[in-house]
Amino acid sequence: MLKNIKILLGIILILIVVGCDDYSELDSPTTPAPPSTGTANFTRFVSIGNSITAGYQSGTIYKSGQMYSYGNLIAQQVQTNYQIPYVSDPGLGGRLEIASITPFELYTNPSAGSPLNLTYPGPYNNLGVPGALTYDVLYATSSTTCASYVLSTTPTPNPYFDLILRNSALNIGTQLQQALIQNPTFITLWIGNNDVLGYATSGGTSPSSPTPTTSFQQLYGGICQTIAGNSTAKVVVANIPNVTVAPFFTTVGYQIANNPSIPWSSLPLGFVYQKGNETGVGSGSATKENLANFNVLVTLKASSYAPLLGQPTGIVYRGLSGLPAGIDTTQPFGFHPQNPFPNSLVLDPVEITIANTAVSEFNSFISTMANQYGFGLVNINTVFNSFVPGKVVDGIVFSTAFVSGGLFSLDGVHPSNQAHAIVANEFINVINTKWNASIPIIDVATIPGSLYLKKTVTYKQGYPVIPKEAFDHLLF
Amino acid sequence: MKSLLFLIIVSALLISSNIYAGGFQLNIRGAKAVAMGGAFTAVANDPSAVYWNAAGLTQLKGTNIMFSTHLIAPQSSFRGVAPNIDRYRAENRIFFPTHLFISHTFNEKMAVGIGFTQPFGLGSTWDDNWPGRYLSVETTLRLYSLFPVFNYKPIDEISLSAGVTYNFGNVLIKSKSQLPTYLAGYEAFLNLEGDDMFAYGFNGGLLIKPFKGFSIGVAYHSEVNYKFEGTATIIEAPEAALGSVPNGNIEAEITTPQNIAAGISVDVSEKIKLSTEFQYVGWSVYEKLEVVFIDYNPVVVSSNLRNYDDSYILRLGGSYKANDQLTFLAGVYYDKSPVESKYETPSIIETNRLGLSFGIDAQLFEKVSIQGSYLFIRGEQLTVNDSEQIYILPNKTFNGTYNASANIFSLSLNYHL
Repeated sequence: MLKNIKILLGIILILIVVGCDDYSELDSPTTPAPPSTGTANFTRFVSIGNSITAGYQSGTIYKSGQMYSYGNLIAQQVQTNYQIPYVSDPGLGGRLEIASITPFELYTNPSAGSPLNLTYPGPYNNLGVPGALTYDVLYATSSTTCASYVLSTTPTPNPYFDLILRNSALNIGTQLQQALIQNPTFITLWIGNNDVLGYATSGGTSPSSPTPTTSFQQLYGGICQTIAGNSTAKVVVANIPNVTVAPFFTTVGYQIANNPSIPWSSLPLGFVYQKGNETGVGSGSATKENLANFNVLVTLKASSYAPLLGQPTGIVYRGLSGLPAGIDTTQPFGFHPQNPFPNSLVLDPVEITIANTAVSEFNSFISTMANQYGFGLVNINTVFNSFVPGKVVDGIVFSTAFVSGGLFSLDGVHPSNQAHAIVANEFINVINTKWNASIPIIDVATIPGSLYLKKTVTYKQGYPVIPKEAFDHLLF
Repeated sequence: MKSLLFLIIVSALLISSNIYAGGFQLNIRGAKAVAMGGAFTAVANDPSAVYWNAAGLTQLKGTNIMFSTHLIAPQSSFRGVAPNIDRYRAENRIFFPTHLFISHTFNEKMAVGIGFTQPFGLGSTWDDNWPGRYLSVETTLRLYSLFPVFNYKPIDEISLSAGVTYNFGNVLIKSKSQLPTYLAGYEAFLNLEGDDMFAYGFNGGLLIKPFKGFSIGVAYHSEVNYKFEGTATIIEAPEAALGSVPNGNIEAEITTPQNIAAGISVDVSEKIKLSTEFQYVGWSVYEKLEVVFIDYNPVVVSSNLRNYDDSYILRLGGSYKANDQLTFLAGVYYDKSPVESKYETPSIIETNRLGLSFGIDAQLFEKVSIQGSYLFIRGEQLTVNDSEQIYILPNKTFNGTYNASANIFSLSLNYHL
């Protein structure tokens, strides 16, 4: 009898322990209420700008980068509608990708995506057009009415104007007109970068000067006046970062200076380049220290030519625009006046000063306009400069170093997804202060990186291996 | 007697409030010991005493062989990552630790034995693409121990034992690793495997029987230091990142904890025996899991803090001898988690565990007996809010709710020569 009771108890015990619910209830997450935007109103929010505003990265626009453009990030924080001229990955063609991290090697993706939001029946909220100059905001309505076509000695149509403004269908007009016709309640304006960048990225050759300050003032003043005169929207403007902090300018020269195979002490003239508007014999020369201290900048375009330094070669000139008069290809490339480093790849001290002066004068005027019209002002220049020595944001170490610095995409000029989040937070801070809003700041660590690898093919064994601190959390 | 038991349990709880057991230690050896909640150090009356407390071998007669096998079926789940409550289940794996014990009792004063056991084991497998994949995809640890013991009983009341252990085993870790944050979300999948064929330890036991029907047992098992050597291979990685993913020869050191168990056993009546035990586990030796990639100069070290604390297990068991052929067994134990919640990882889920068991001991023939038992282990639900385990670089931590339980079926076969 006792035996039977024990067996029975045992069976009951099994039923209890196996049958009881393993899990207690957990509360599901609640969606946060829309934040207070204070006296600012984001019901109809538009962004005017250039490639940065468009979310252009690594040489093109593609959806997985456009969705992290600072304008869209702000729109998400305030929970408002924001239409973007999306292009499916990998963008409109020519996206730069990483073929190998160590040793570092780039690759240009030959595939192209296609526009995804072409049928949206109205102007986009993100009106940023890659390549737009200040002139274009006021005057460009198509690929053949933009500054690169009408103002240049070598007219070049910019198809982005057709893609984004779609005037063949909408027939509304310029970026500015498309913004104002939406009766916006909030506008961001970030323009002027290309008025200096075109000059700087071409080594001071094409165009041969930045947009003159007086022209910039007229154009920028015209934009501000038009906005203020035709809209009651709250406006935030951003100024222009010093072009020379971008890794496009700071990477290759530094590598040349620190290349142990270059016999600096036995080079009579050091690094020899064409300065000013020289096209043949070069009279510019830089020491190792000049390059290391960024007194002379060599652009990222020169990356594939730098390994030829010291060789008797004409490959570089033939690869650019043919061998000019006065060049002797039997001389060591980049070390001799008759085979100098080409003008279009170098920003000499005079050109650096010209670029920096233009930025400084433009920014001074932007600040004046912001004050005059009561616009908020985001000092992007100061923000970017603060990252030069490296800075931690939400646990990630950012710097202006190429690739590993995390701020710039692979073209060395345009901000990465995470840099867009940093920029968006700067806008939000200004908005919160100026209009008594409480828009939450973005956690930059939740924003994915935006540098793509060439392909994600499965492993083959036997490669050289390099330690990486990124693997600290390899294990359980 | 009952009040004495109660006093011991309460004082043990009070003393040990700041020490913590659990871990990947397998305390499953012999169906009878399992059925009695593992409170067997003061009982030690079958060949599994070779492990539990070899000082009990002189209680046996002649030569005994015991073969014991256990089916362990753990289940674990994670809900998160907080604030999300999505549920992820670890794959249901089944483990079969198997033990062999042989003892020979020369006379009332002297006995020897040898055991082959699997003292540490278990593992976990999660989906390749679950959110915690940078913390754990698959972990399997298998350690084996072969140990001769010697038992001597100088006087009737006191029996002593000592032994050395030879240990070997292997470890397998599959884990994904996140590539640097500036890349658009890439990962590498690595397989790390290593073994150590020679690791040594020792043990000792004491059994005191001051009067009939009452015994005190104490057993010590030393820590064992393993130096695993093996290779890391890349299962999958983006081609462009291959040069950045460490692989090749690896080394890792793991020390398994010392155990001190002390218990008493009381014959309440002719038919009923009760036993209780306190087992102290020196888990604090397990501070971190560190894998060294030795092909590099300087070497690459991948380190993960575990920071286990010492812990304890409290056991209570009983047997009821229905007749000469049949004994019913039952037990319960409480096993304190050795890990602070902030170090909890899904590779081996550590929570406070409650074990409930029962079994049967049947003397089938004169020389053959068989024991069977069932043990259910319920892990206390653990909600982690203060995790320091980073599951997404640079600083997203793995908060959420863990649940774990296990069903264990044991079968032992005893042959008396």
